[in-house]
Amino acid sequence: MIRFDHVHKEYPDGTIAVDDFTLEVPSHEVVVLLGSSGCGKTTLMRMVNRMVDPSSGSVSIDGDDVAHSDPVKLRRSIGYVMQSGGLLPHRTVVDNIATVPLLLGATRRSAHARASELLDLVGLEQSVAKRYPSQLSGGQRQRIGVARALASDPNILLMDEPFGAVDPVVRAELQRELLHLQNELAKTILFVTHDVDEAFLLGQQVLVLRTGAEVAQHGSPANILLDPADDFVANFIGGPRRHLRTEMRDGRHIVVDAAGHVTGVLQDDRGAAG
Amino acid sequence: MIQFADAFAWLVDPANWPGPNGITARILEHLWYCLLALVLALVIAMPAGLYIGHTGKGRALAIGLTGALRALPSLGLLTLLAVTMSLGLRLAIVPSTIVLAILAIPPLLAAAYSGVEAVDPDVVDGARASGLNEWQIVGRVEVPLAAPLLVGGLRSAVLQVIATATLSAFLGLGGLGRFILDGQAVADYTRMLGGAILVIALALILDGGILLLQRWLVPSGVSIALGTGRLEGR
Amino acid sequence: MRFDWVADNMGQILMMSWAHVQVSVLPIFLSLLIAVPIAWWAHRQKSARRVLVPISGVLYALPSLPLFVLLPVVLGTRILDPLNLVVALTLYGVALLVRTAVDAFDSVGRIIRDDALAIGHSPRQVFWRVALPLAGPPLLAGTRVVSASTLSLVSVGALIGVPSLGYFFTNGYQRGFPTEIMVGVIGTVVLAVIFDVIIVVAGRLLLPWVRATDRRRG
Repeated sequence: MIRFDHVHKEYPDGTIAVDDFTLEVPSHEVVVLLGSSGCGKTTLMRMVNRMVDPSSGSVSIDGDDVAHSDPVKLRRSIGYVMQSGGLLPHRTVVDNIATVPLLLGATRRSAHARASELLDLVGLEQSVAKRYPSQLSGGQRQRIGVARALASDPNILLMDEPFGAVDPVVRAELQRELLHLQNELAKTILFVTHDVDEAFLLGQQVLVLRTGAEVAQHGSPANILLDPADDFVANFIGGPRRHLRTEMRDGRHIVVDAAGHVTGVLQDDRGAAG
Repeated sequence: MIQFADAFAWLVDPANWPGPNGITARILEHLWYCLLALVLALVIAMPAGLYIGHTGKGRALAIGLTGALRALPSLGLLTLLAVTMSLGLRLAIVPSTIVLAILAIPPLLAAAYSGVEAVDPDVVDGARASGLNEWQIVGRVEVPLAAPLLVGGLRSAVLQVIATATLSAFLGLGGLGRFILDGQAVADYTRMLGGAILVIALALILDGGILLLQRWLVPSGVSIALGTGRLEGR
Repeated sequence: MRFDWVADNMGQILMMSWAHVQVSVLPIFLSLLIAVPIAWWAHRQKSARRVLVPISGVLYALPSLPLFVLLPVVLGTRILDPLNLVVALTLYGVALLVRTAVDAFDSVGRIIRDDALAIGHSPRQVFWRVALPLAGPPLLAGTRVVSASTLSLVSVGALIGVPSLGYFFTNGYQRGFPTEIMVGVIGTVVLAVIFDVIIVVAGRLLLPWVRATDRRRG
């Protein structure tokens, strides 16, 4: 369980990135911080592994304030996936995945064995093991990023727009596989994104954030869709695009949004929009 | 061009190589002065440059300092230190080493901080978030990725020092500059030219050696990562 | 520092400074004039680059004093002829600037040049209106380095008897007289600063947009 307690972050130049934020992320759940760039969502996430320290307030993991732990040790115990991958370009894929186990003192052999297990887990062929990150596709690199984050079997995963830099087809595939992985591994995941569909797909809980990491709404995806707290949330999650109704055409139900654009076809009469 | 023939005859004459004033001894002296100065310069410039590159602190100071050092005439510095330092005239190796080190510091320092600065910040961020401590980030990420620039800086420093060590002869020291200055004193142009050819050859050989060293030193992963072919390290 | 010596010898100091300037100006100009076309050629043709860039590297590796000794044979000049220095210093300047300029042209990038061609510039116009102006700032920086190193290297010529502020180094050393050496060092630095200011001002006049960019970066 991760707990943010009245967290506040002000930079020396006076910018307030986070203003009084409180949240509890339950263990084994995926919580998504959703907001546009500059709203402070990444700053919040980076407080968990002390890449950023709050100006006031505290962040704790299972009741222990992270401020009291050694940042380097803390980071080794938390998986972190970033948008650019952040892989070491001069190390091979196996060495990248084995980074944390090696730092924790595992032998080279066991770290590499673990790395090849993880390659399987994230759906990559063993043949990529000896390649360098620059020789891989964007989607492959993101999988390596996930594998590296999972290498020391951390309880917590922090994911900072991990699929933001890949094309929509690959993104959808990676999202599906993350859900699948989460079914198996049941990590506590804090996920940052500006993509509404991604947030609703992955999050058990979603927080829509305004500037300064002010919570505009916190709830389940269904909650937020059915009952947006205000115009800001309604607009952010898509406004008229989400107000769908069905129309009959050629004897079938099609789904149309508020502006009259066709967005899908109703599969059967039980009402699942496709 | 007849002078070249004379100079080559002087160079290949076996009588000119052995002995305390022979070519062999002068080459070794020359290399010794350079090595002393390079070690001194590396000890100062590498930690300072890596620190500046890693922390971003002191950058303006370093740029100003290296610029100012470049503008100082080496011969002036050499003679000034020799006459003003109490040890300067008796132990000419001291001012000579200091001046040569001063010349070697700017390229080494610049290579170190600009090399580290050029490393993709996302890579450093990812390494830090994975749990590398600051020393590990410098040693395992920044230095390897800056290696091509570091070797480039070393190359400039070596060339600078080899060239300028020629001037140390003016302080009464040995080295290959002896042939040039002694030759001039007695209007023996053959010896001057022979000495000049030796310094040039030494510089070119070391330059080539460092290029080979670069291929051997820079890990293949770094070349691939930086998209530089092994042969085309610019 | 004995200022009475400085006052007594002002005439000689100015004379040597003037000699220093005379030998330095030409190499700085020439190296820019020669290096830019060479770099443009190397930038556009891979085969040319493979030859030109290593050659400039080798030129830069040549030590100055030995080069001053060597050139008279190659050029057929007398050893005291200032022309030796001019040629040697021009070679250094070219060597240094070719690398800077090739990198500068490379950084302007194919994309920008292709854009310019697509808009309807001729290749010649691309050079004058796009590549050269955009490569201006690094070229300016390179010229400043050439200027500083040229002024510093000219004094080495004193060892073989070419007059410059370097004379005060050799003479002061032989007399064990620090003031004279100080005059030479300070004189060289002052000249370097004056040259630098002139180059920067010239750069601002020729490249008015550089200041704006500088400020944005600063």
